[in-house]
Amino acid sequence: METRLCGRCVLPESAPDIHLDSQGVCNLCRDHEKRRPEAGASRLLESDFTKIIEKHRGRHEFDCLVMCSGGKDSTAALYYAKRRYKLNVLAFTFDHGFETEEALDNVRRAVETLDATFLTYRSTFMRDMFARLLKSGSPAVICHVCAIWYMGLTYRMAERFDVPLIIAGWTKGQMTSQPVLTKCACNLAAPEYARMGRATKDFLAGLKDDPKYKDFPGSIEEVVARAQKRHKSLVLSPHWFLPYSADEYVPVIEKELGWRQPRLSYPAKTTNCALNFISVQWALKHYGYTHYHVEMSKLIREGLLTREEALEQLRADFDPELLNRIAGPLGFRFPDRTGA
Amino acid sequence: MTSRVLGLSCHYHDSAACLMEAGGIVAAAQEERFLRRKNASGFPLHALNYCLQAGAITVLDLDAVAFYEKPFLKLARVLESHLDSWPRSFGSFRRTMAHWLDDRLTLPLSLKSRLGFSGRTFFVKHHLAHAASAFYPSGFEEAAVLTVDGVGEWATVTRGHGAGNRLRIDSEMRFPSSLGLLYSAVTSYLGFEVHEGEGTVMGLAAYGSPVFLDRLRGIVPSTPDGGFMLDRGWFDFSGDGKMYTPRFVEAFGPERVPGGPLGERHCDMAASLQSLTEEILLRLTQGLRAQTKCESLCLAGGVALNCVANQKILDSSGFKKVFVQPAAGDAGGSLGAAAFVSHALWGHPRPARMSPYLGPDCSASRIRRVLTNAGLDFRELSEKELCRETAARLARGKVVGWMQGRMEFGPRALGNRSILGDPRHPRMKEIINERVKRREEFRPYAPAVLAEAARDFFELEGDSPFMLFAPRIREEKKSVLPAVAHPDGSARVQTVREADNPRFHRLIASFGELTGVPVVVNTSFNRRGEPMVCAAEEAVAVFKESRMDCLAVGDFFVERDGN
Repeated sequence: METRLCGRCVLPESAPDIHLDSQGVCNLCRDHEKRRPEAGASRLLESDFTKIIEKHRGRHEFDCLVMCSGGKDSTAALYYAKRRYKLNVLAFTFDHGFETEEALDNVRRAVETLDATFLTYRSTFMRDMFARLLKSGSPAVICHVCAIWYMGLTYRMAERFDVPLIIAGWTKGQMTSQPVLTKCACNLAAPEYARMGRATKDFLAGLKDDPKYKDFPGSIEEVVARAQKRHKSLVLSPHWFLPYSADEYVPVIEKELGWRQPRLSYPAKTTNCALNFISVQWALKHYGYTHYHVEMSKLIREGLLTREEALEQLRADFDPELLNRIAGPLGFRFPDRTGA
Repeated sequence: MTSRVLGLSCHYHDSAACLMEAGGIVAAAQEERFLRRKNASGFPLHALNYCLQAGAITVLDLDAVAFYEKPFLKLARVLESHLDSWPRSFGSFRRTMAHWLDDRLTLPLSLKSRLGFSGRTFFVKHHLAHAASAFYPSGFEEAAVLTVDGVGEWATVTRGHGAGNRLRIDSEMRFPSSLGLLYSAVTSYLGFEVHEGEGTVMGLAAYGSPVFLDRLRGIVPSTPDGGFMLDRGWFDFSGDGKMYTPRFVEAFGPERVPGGPLGERHCDMAASLQSLTEEILLRLTQGLRAQTKCESLCLAGGVALNCVANQKILDSSGFKKVFVQPAAGDAGGSLGAAAFVSHALWGHPRPARMSPYLGPDCSASRIRRVLTNAGLDFRELSEKELCRETAARLARGKVVGWMQGRMEFGPRALGNRSILGDPRHPRMKEIINERVKRREEFRPYAPAVLAEAARDFFELEGDSPFMLFAPRIREEKKSVLPAVAHPDGSARVQTVREADNPRFHRLIASFGELTGVPVVVNTSFNRRGEPMVCAAEEAVAVFKESRMDCLAVGDFFVERDGN
């Protein structure tokens, strides 16, 4: 039987957390509808952002560390940090071995144009974990496991250089009301993430016997808790405080930073790493949707995207050869075109 | 060189922000539009964020912030007025002081903690801010300036003079002798909300006779300098209780319960108040004309929103030209404070002409998404097609929501956030009321007319671009414009020039081509009790929840099923 999608956003029915009512609208859209009258009053404003950064400006070698993936959103965040807010920036890029050259080129061009101090970190530390996840058939989400790693790494870098602010390029679709990462990040207890969150926790719990990963955090909350004990960096994204959509900032970074859209990426119009294709295929198989469906559904509710645009961008019909080329170094092979 | 100043007005009613750069007005907006709460009075965080973003700057790029009053002076007046009526004012004193101790007295600290701004802060006297808001964008090289409102720090009326970048206040009348407070007191006596119902009372006045005028004159006697005094035995402005005393009720009869029936006595009271207001304003302006010998007059302050009185001033004060700033009330204080700093202190050149379209715009991509997500069928049209289609619907008696370009600054919809109708239709007022607005039956709707055709329809010399004058409809045209004619034969006209608002001008011209009448009914795009729409989402919500026939938002045209 074909999965039913919410008539307003792009989330599928997914028991027990996401369910559609008699009008075909999901519980998340209904909840949003109820909150709507207060939306104007509770919206984050740019002055909330400037208030925070002004508390920290000029007190350390760097005012902020900007997480740069080479994608449009993080490149725009770097642009804002340097040009709009005139912060002394430490640009930081990490590569687990699956970043694309196009994305890394975008980062290099941006930091050169903006004359930002640039730190890059390449590691194969996660490769065995990704391989183990695929081979085990665990429904854990690769991107969630990776996020736990890179957030831990980012916090350590912020500690190493004594940076008070970590700036990410997360969109309004990646924002939740629960301040998990001290004012930011995914709320894994939210209905749309509950099953995924549990699976990731279970998978990571099973790694404790592996000496290489015995100290690996079991959840994003644990990453934050550990970081807060060592060095209090505040993590936030300028996109949450600004009224601009990608339609508005992409032309700016294209013109001013030479940012380029990669030929191949998922979802369309993004710059995600190659491993993302596998993560998406994996999540679709186990849940019928991905964290991108969650993000775009939020953007639809905020009026920043239409359902049709989201469906177009989320269309996933990956070439098995592409998937197997990426999975090859992990010692994994997808059986056929349809299955993972 | 210092260039960018952010003007703020807040903590009383209708808070707002305005950004000026090198003497030009970049953006201005009222907080109510963002919070969706009429007359929002708090710190205008949303409005100032919008203004800074419209100027492509952040708070860090500002050279100064200008506030529209001097808080310590105002506090002195508030304390004194409470002491005058102690101990009756104890409750009000306790409530008022809680607000004052919040952040009114510590604005620089508040700007630092709320925004991260630590630059220079200027405090401009309330009525000087009003005067600056009227004179600097007026386009007059030299003018007399009159400000009239409820009360600022102490002043309630000021008379002054502007020339070039210089502006001075020559004399003032002081609290409690206040025409604005008198109007508000009678507004509340008539059962309407203060700061909201004054326009309603002005509209009601045309239905009555000024039978109480002599008695009102008795309690508001004139003074030798052309001013007036308020007999305090009749009014109580000490706190947040009733603004009139039992003596007032004894003399004029029981007050009207809000929402209760309106009788002849209420209409007569409104007419008497309006007549007295016009008398006083005429006396003040005639005196100012004699004193300054200026040919031009600038008006601001909440009382300057009284378009019927403004028309009398234009007709009879002796001034040849009168400029009333579109946000003449307290929201305009943000513009005035910024303008005073920009022009008087920093010497930047003055703008040649003021546009009221200073608020947020909405991009085509955003509108398309909002309409799509709302499940509405729409067509994207060229400007010519959009105006033709809209004009054709109007000519068929349809009610159209018209949201275009940047939102208006000030209380009037001037063709960018408007609900439009056919002024020839005898029932158009009722139709708009039934389908969307649900206003009191007696309140008139206003006409917007091509500036070049205005004299054919109205007894109007010059322009009325901000809908702040109410000339008479020409006798022979009264039957042509039944939907906008008030019982006294006047109409609150907006004249539309192509240079000021090309799209709205084109729409009215298209309607004129179809009907021979280049006039449309123009009322603010909102539901009763709500502020004017700001964003496309709000326009769509009003369209969906009302029985409006069509919606023209940006280049997109939506028709309700069955039209």
